[in-house]
Amino acid sequence: MRRASRVHGGSVLSLPSARIAIVILAAVVFLMIFGSALAPQNPLTINANALFQGPSRAHLLGTDYLGRDVLSRLMAGTRLSVLTAAEAVGIALVLGAPLGVATVFLGRAFDFAANRVADALMTLPSIFFAVAVTAALGNGLVQAMFPVGILMAPLFFRVTRAAALEFARAQYVEAAELLGASKLHVIRVHVARKVLPTIAVTTAQGAAGALLAVSFLTFLGIGVTPPTPTWGGVLSSDLDYLSNAPWAPLIPGALIAITVGALNALADAFRDRAPRGRLAEPGQNVTTQLTPQPLEAADGRPTAA
Amino acid sequence: MSRLGGGLAVLIPILVLSSFATYSLGALSNSNPAATILGQDAATPAAVAKLDKVLGLDKPLVVQYWDWLTQAVQGHLGTSYFTQIPVSQSIAQRLPVDLSIATAAVILAVVIGGTAGTVAAIRRGGIIDRSVTVVCSVISTLPAFVVGIILVVVFAVAVHWLPANGYNGPTQGIGPWLEHIILPSLALALQVAADIARQLRTSLVAVLEQNYIVGAKVRGLPYRRVLVRHALRNAAGPALTVIGYDFPMMLAGAVAAEAVFSLPGLGQLLLEAAQTRDIPVVQGVLLVVSTFVIVVNLLVNTLLAWLYRSSDGVSA
Repeated sequence: MRRASRVHGGSVLSLPSARIAIVILAAVVFLMIFGSALAPQNPLTINANALFQGPSRAHLLGTDYLGRDVLSRLMAGTRLSVLTAAEAVGIALVLGAPLGVATVFLGRAFDFAANRVADALMTLPSIFFAVAVTAALGNGLVQAMFPVGILMAPLFFRVTRAAALEFARAQYVEAAELLGASKLHVIRVHVARKVLPTIAVTTAQGAAGALLAVSFLTFLGIGVTPPTPTWGGVLSSDLDYLSNAPWAPLIPGALIAITVGALNALADAFRDRAPRGRLAEPGQNVTTQLTPQPLEAADGRPTAA
Repeated sequence: MSRLGGGLAVLIPILVLSSFATYSLGALSNSNPAATILGQDAATPAAVAKLDKVLGLDKPLVVQYWDWLTQAVQGHLGTSYFTQIPVSQSIAQRLPVDLSIATAAVILAVVIGGTAGTVAAIRRGGIIDRSVTVVCSVISTLPAFVVGIILVVVFAVAVHWLPANGYNGPTQGIGPWLEHIILPSLALALQVAADIARQLRTSLVAVLEQNYIVGAKVRGLPYRRVLVRHALRNAAGPALTVIGYDFPMMLAGAVAAEAVFSLPGLGQLLLEAAQTRDIPVVQGVLLVVSTFVIVVNLLVNTLLAWLYRSSDGVSA
């Protein structure tokens, strides 16, 4: 409740934390689009004369165990990581949010069943399913992130449902219904539009979780074949040579942490600037482990599975 | 108890759903188990058809699923395509590793998070409180595997206090066992500890402002007694909920710790099986993990609902 005193409403951009987060995320998106093209060196070029180098003018972030330029590998690895994270969030949003709005109008039996199913799905460890799916459908990140998206859908379902329920009970909805508005009209004008800020919060949270999942999967070596650079892959190869370069994992680790932190900060900012304080209330905060945090003060920062 | 009833009513369909999804993975894969088992040279169409019949792969999917499930309920999860080792045996061998780490992690999280949250609430606004808040926020953005790597760098590479990887069963001595699980557990525990600290701080601050706490102090009760008997007892609810929800996830999170510390746990078993497309092993691990998580979660929910009902504290 520490934010309850702040003024709600107003632009997200008026918060300094949100501005910093947006700059960081814009940089990540920029890297996603132009990262491979702008990489100072070929991320796959092996240089036996420059193994485990620290940051220098030639290699701003040093080199790895094959003498490859770490900066170039991280830049080139951004696209796959970000796009597959977006895939999972997209699946979760498309499956979860419409169902969440619909549950308001589908009756109590449906609501009860959908909630119980969502509760159960949320507890399932998505990393296990992601790994298992690659065993069945072939080793690819696109396949691996599919179950991550499905298991994240309950997160969107629950928050949209809670928000939609609240707005659907508002007096102006009752008034609109008395004036003869159709259900579709009510959903479109009075519910769907007002639920959008909630969905924005959840999307930012979900993106943070999905990015962690991608990093972890690529760290495990799932979904990519070796020379292909990914954030998690750089981290994983650094881990094998800790005695040569103990500082090396800090670089990809920091990149992942900063991006995830920016997404969390953006989620917090959306929550602060939501039309009502309702968004910051209990039951709406969910970590990326997809565990409900039913009581106040958990601000829904993702934790890695 | 209606909560348990509702939970059980949904437990069965959920387990059926997740186990069916698990089993279907095998059918979805274009792998040909019989050909895999026989090897390239021996996999003549006739031999494959014969082995398919033995394995029951010529029956409809639903029938196959039912056969698999009835076997699984009795503890038979099939055998690995490659090693011929029964899947349940491999799982029984690996599960203690993850259970050790997850249990140790819960204990560490409670001790660290509980202490940090309590101190922060008592010294509210002070330097300890502010540092706890900052440290918790930083830890929250770090994934468990990154935390694990940092711990390895600090405690195994820089100062050589603890082994960087490997595992010793508790049967080979408690000392080596603890030595090998402490870093993985810590990696897993820190985020939950941060959650607990934040929850506990918030609720403890609220409880400490209640009239009955002021009253207890006014009556001259020792501060420690007021804190433990009156305040912590009532403030612990939300933090307990965090632990309840996080325990099953910690078991799943143990896969991260396994990867960083090269521990022979379920996650590694699954990874190896996924790489060789050893479908029975993949299905077995997935079934055991998801069933375990769903059941534990239901138990925890029921327990918490019961606790809240029987306590008349402010925690609700």
